[in-house]
Amino acid sequence: MPQREGSPFTGLATVALKEAADHMTSARIHLVMLLVLLTAVGAVYAAIGQITATVSEDQFLFLRLFTTAQEPLPSFVAFLGFLLPLVAIALGFDAINGEYNRRTMSRILSQPIYRDALLTGKFLGCLIVIAICLLVLWLLVIGLGILLVGLPPSAEEILRGLAFLLASFVYAGVWLAVAMVFSTIFRSPATSALATLTVWLLFTIFWPMLSPLIAGAIAPVDPFDPMTAVDRVEVERAIARISPNTLFGEMTLAILNPETRSLGLVFANQLSQAVIGAPLPASQSLMLIWPQLACMIAALLVLFTAAYVSFQRQEIRA
Amino acid sequence: MIPAHAFFARKTLIKSLSATFVVGGLLLGTSSALAQTAPAPQPPGAAVEQELQGLWLTTPYPAFFAQPGEEVDIGLSLANKGLPPQRVEFAISGLPEGWQWEIEGDGKRVGAAIAASDQTIDLSLKLTPAEGAVGDTYQFTITGKSGNQTLELPIALTLAETQPAELTLKPELPALRGTVRSTFDYQVEIANDGQEDTVVNLLAEAAPGFQVTFKERYGSQELTSIPLAAGEKKNLSVTVKAPENAQAGQYPVMVRAAGGNAAAETQLVLDITGQAELALAGPGGRLSGDATAGEQRTFNFTVENRGTAPARAVKFSASPPSGWNVEFNPEEIAEIPAGESAEVAVNMTPSDQAIAGDYVVTVRANGDGASDNESFRVTVRTSTIWGVTGLGVIAAAVMVLGFAVTRYGRR
Repeated sequence: MPQREGSPFTGLATVALKEAADHMTSARIHLVMLLVLLTAVGAVYAAIGQITATVSEDQFLFLRLFTTAQEPLPSFVAFLGFLLPLVAIALGFDAINGEYNRRTMSRILSQPIYRDALLTGKFLGCLIVIAICLLVLWLLVIGLGILLVGLPPSAEEILRGLAFLLASFVYAGVWLAVAMVFSTIFRSPATSALATLTVWLLFTIFWPMLSPLIAGAIAPVDPFDPMTAVDRVEVERAIARISPNTLFGEMTLAILNPETRSLGLVFANQLSQAVIGAPLPASQSLMLIWPQLACMIAALLVLFTAAYVSFQRQEIRA
Repeated sequence: MIPAHAFFARKTLIKSLSATFVVGGLLLGTSSALAQTAPAPQPPGAAVEQELQGLWLTTPYPAFFAQPGEEVDIGLSLANKGLPPQRVEFAISGLPEGWQWEIEGDGKRVGAAIAASDQTIDLSLKLTPAEGAVGDTYQFTITGKSGNQTLELPIALTLAETQPAELTLKPELPALRGTVRSTFDYQVEIANDGQEDTVVNLLAEAAPGFQVTFKERYGSQELTSIPLAAGEKKNLSVTVKAPENAQAGQYPVMVRAAGGNAAAETQLVLDITGQAELALAGPGGRLSGDATAGEQRTFNFTVENRGTAPARAVKFSASPPSGWNVEFNPEEIAEIPAGESAEVAVNMTPSDQAIAGDYVVTVRANGDGASDNESFRVTVRTSTIWGVTGLGVIAAAVMVLGFAVTRYGRR
């Protein structure tokens, strides 16, 4: 294979910025973001209503903005866990095959831009859009909190909030990578959209039901051996953690509830003489979510590699 | 019959003699006829059957001593026996110039009284002698006029020098033993043996730092002075509180009572025995620290003897959470003198399995008769090895991407 000269990333910035600009002005993203904004602001507003009605003292009032749910609305975190994949899918499901359909792929690649730069640029462009949306949403929540609760957030709360922002960003990135993979595999945007939505529904709705079933098949519980019950729980957790939703849920739990000490199975002897309810330092909470975060980043990279390999091997002149 | 008559006459004579003795005694030598209104003459035979009849004015103490200037209360009784109701008007003759008197019956000032048949009326004569020469005896007579008869009651009053108040203090248990934390309660009896009422000031003299309080026994109010009537005794409770830092030894406390010209004092003794008192403190006075799961961490505890006696054989122990290892260096300190402190290194190794967060470890120091414990809060941090593993996972993913780029890149 002849090696060509020049950086493979020439034009990367151009592609990324153009992609981001296109998305920013597209009606699709406007609609999806409007949906996200409305639900998120509604959830936060309801949470603030509940917080201001509560008299008990709370060290982490601002974190409660994210996690407090008031019937019938779920909490802000729950909304994000549900809707962020949707935003990412809306951004990425026709990233590559859309170019084919518009017959613009050959035209782009006839420019001095490598395929590497095109795929990476499209991915980065979508990530920029997601980052901007999340940042705006985050600032909106914090601003609403300061305005309506009347308290400034503490440094620890800001730190945890930023960690939460990063976790949400990586979570959305994983779903974007999934959408990109399908958009390179399938030529039809409708097929890739359906495939991505299928995966999303599988992990969001069916995975919590499937994981106990699979775990029951892999590690049956022997009623005379209590350790098998422990094994069963461990296996079930491991299977559940394949889903990015589970990982995101665990991360938000550990970051936004500082009292969370462990995300796995805890034995009573590990809790002997422990001060229950004492908040963990932010560094320890970050240590707690680091495996989840690292796995998500790795998953993002692997999925992107899959999309990359698939795209690089494609015949594009058709 | 005559012998019988004679016998009865004798009996009557005895009776009238005893009556004369009583009345005569009261009247100081005046004949019974004077004191007694003339009874109706009775045949000797009839007298045998009849009871004593007459009207008397009597007092139990016809000669007594009093202090000049002080009011005297003389009890009088007007007795009517077997006569119709008699009206008696009172007067006093022979009183020196300047003396004041009044007769009271039932709390009211009276001038006359009527004694019904077979009734005795109690009266009292309030007499205020003027200041006069001590030792003089004054004679005066209380007279009661009843119709044409006059009852006379001579009284002799001698002005006497009064005995001044005389105080005594008598502790029940003058020496008590205890530690600095004990309460030393002494029961002291204070008595006024004189004839004057007085108000007694209570004072105590003790070493600096010792607090002395006076209370009535079974009372709760603190006293500084106490009124004490002539001849009265009162029980006091003297409480001495030793200062926390008092060294072992004997401490005398002088208790004084002073009232008027009288004073009394007594000595109480506190025998304070020393006691060791241990105080544990964490590193730098803090009671919290950090440790990493599975790794040993050393905290330097300080144990101080705040007591008044040396603490001997001070051993250390801890109740850590399960799976933890806590060691002390040294494990035992032979002696910590009073006021000194010693250091002990506490090596804590949290369990490998410990999850991050706060744990409470109770650290104890036990000496002979003294101990202390502290709840030390350890914030366990988890090992960063897993963080490195996470980085490894990401690095592996990057390597896969790099491989894909080198394999399929630049097309």
